Amino acid sequence: MTQQPPSPDQENRAPSENDTTHFGYSTVPKDRKAGQVAEVFHSVAGKYDLMNDLMSMGIHRLWKRFTIELSGVRPGHRVLDIAGGTGDLTMKFSDLVGTEGQVVLADINASMLQVGRSRLIDRGYAGNIEYVQADAERLPFPDNHFNAVSIAFGLRNVTDKDQALRDMTRVLKPGGKLMVLEFSKPTNPLLSKIYDNYSFNALPLMGQLIAGDSASYQYLAESIRMHPDQDTLKGMMETAGLVNTKYHNMTGGIVALHVGIKP
Amino acid sequence: MFPGPTLRAAVSGVVETALNQALALDPAGQQALLDALQGPVQFRLTAPLPLSFHLCAVGGQVQVGSEPLDAPALDIAGRPLAFAALALGDDRVFQEGRLAVTGDMALAHQFQRALAQLNPDWEAALARHLGDVPAHFLGRRLRSAVKWSRQASASLHANIEEYIHEESGALPGKRELEATFADIDDLNLRTERLSARLEQLEARLDSPRTHTPE
Repeated sequence: MTQQPPSPDQENRAPSENDTTHFGYSTVPKDRKAGQVAEVFHSVAGKYDLMNDLMSMGIHRLWKRFTIELSGVRPGHRVLDIAGGTGDLTMKFSDLVGTEGQVVLADINASMLQVGRSRLIDRGYAGNIEYVQADAERLPFPDNHFNAVSIAFGLRNVTDKDQALRDMTRVLKPGGKLMVLEFSKPTNPLLSKIYDNYSFNALPLMGQLIAGDSASYQYLAESIRMHPDQDTLKGMMETAGLVNTKYHNMTGGIVALHVGIKP
Repeated sequence: MFPGPTLRAAVSGVVETALNQALALDPAGQQALLDALQGPVQFRLTAPLPLSFHLCAVGGQVQVGSEPLDAPALDIAGRPLAFAALALGDDRVFQEGRLAVTGDMALAHQFQRALAQLNPDWEAALARHLGDVPAHFLGRRLRSAVKWSRQASASLHANIEEYIHEESGALPGKRELEATFADIDDLNLRTERLSARLEQLEARLDSPRTHTPE
C-alpha cells in the first residue's frame, strides 16, 4: 500500500523543527541524516548500476545523456560531478573535456566512490579524472573553479539543500553552469498514480530480490516524494544566486533537469 | 512538446551508435567525415515534425545531439526527403533550394562528399559473426540483388518513357520538345527585339527636333 508523506501538522509537532529533517517519510535529527543515507548507499553500492537499469528500465541512461548534451562542456573545461556514484556522467564528461580538461568525481559515500573508481579504471578512463570524497554542503574546492557542476540523483539525499546549492554556485566560475538532475513530480495525474504504485510496491520488491534490501528502496521512493517539486527547486536555485534558471521535464516529469548559470 | 527530451535522447543515442559502428567499418570514410566536422553541423527537419539534430567530432567519434544549437558551424534545414537525397549524393538539393544552408557552403559540400564517399565494409563485419565463407556468400547475393534492382528500375523507367512517348503518343518526345522550345525561345527573342525597336521609333517621333538642317 502507498504510504502518505507526513502532514505539515505532524511536522510542526516535531520537538525542535530547526534541528530535524526528513529521511524519507521519517523525521530525524539533522546530524543523523547523512549517516543514515550513507548506510543506504553502503548497502546498495555493489548492485547500484544493475538496480538503476532495472528500476528505470534503462531510461536513466537517456536522462543522463540529455544532461550531458545540455552541459555545453568542451575540451579543456573543468567539471565537478557531485554525488557521481558509479561515474556514468563522469565518463561522458571525461570524453568531452579531453586530455587538457579535468573531471572531479565527488561523492560523500566511500563505497560508491570505490565502485565508481574501479568501474572507470576498468573501462580505461584515467588521466583527467580525480576522485574526491566530499560533502556537497562543504565542497573542498576554491571559489570560481569549475566550468560546470552536475549533481545527478543526489540532491534529495543532501541534508541542507539550500547550503549545497550555495556551495555548488560558489565553486562555479562566472558563466559556469549548474545542472541538477533529480526525480521530480509527474505532470500527468494518471502517470502519477501508476508511478506511485510502481515505486511503493515494485521498487522495494525488486530491492529485496536483487540487492537483498527492501528498506533502502522504500527510502528511495519516500525521498523522491519529499523532494521539492520543479518550481520550488527552481526558486531555490535562484535564491542560491543562479540566473537563467530553467527546468526540462523528462518522461512526464518523473525526472527533471534544472539548469542555472552563475552570473 | 512532442517529442520530449527522453525520446529525442533515445533517437540521438541510436543514431550515434549506428553511425559510429558504420564508420568503424570504413576508417578512411570516418577520417573524412571527422575532418568535415570542424565545427558542429546541425540538421533541422522543418516538417512533418520540427526536429533538430547535430553532429560533432569528439575524441575520434561522432557525437549526435538533439538540442538545437545557438551557433552551429553549418545549419542545414529542410524536409526529410531532401536529406535522404543529400545522403544519396544528390548535389542539386542545394541548388534547387530544397535544403536551406546557413554557414560555410564549402563545408556543406565537404560534408556531403564525405557522406557520399562512405563505403563501410559490411562483409567484414558480417564475417566476424558468421565466418568468412557465409559472409562472402551473403555479400555476393546482396550485391547482385542490389545490382539487379538498379537495372530493373532503370529498365522499367526506360520502358515506361518509351511507351508514353512512342506508343501511346500521350507526350511528345524529348527531341521534338527541344526543337519546339528552341523555336519558342527564338520567337520570344525576336518579339522582344521588335518591341524594343518600336519603342525606339516612338521615342524618336515624340522627341522635339533640336537640329533643323538648312
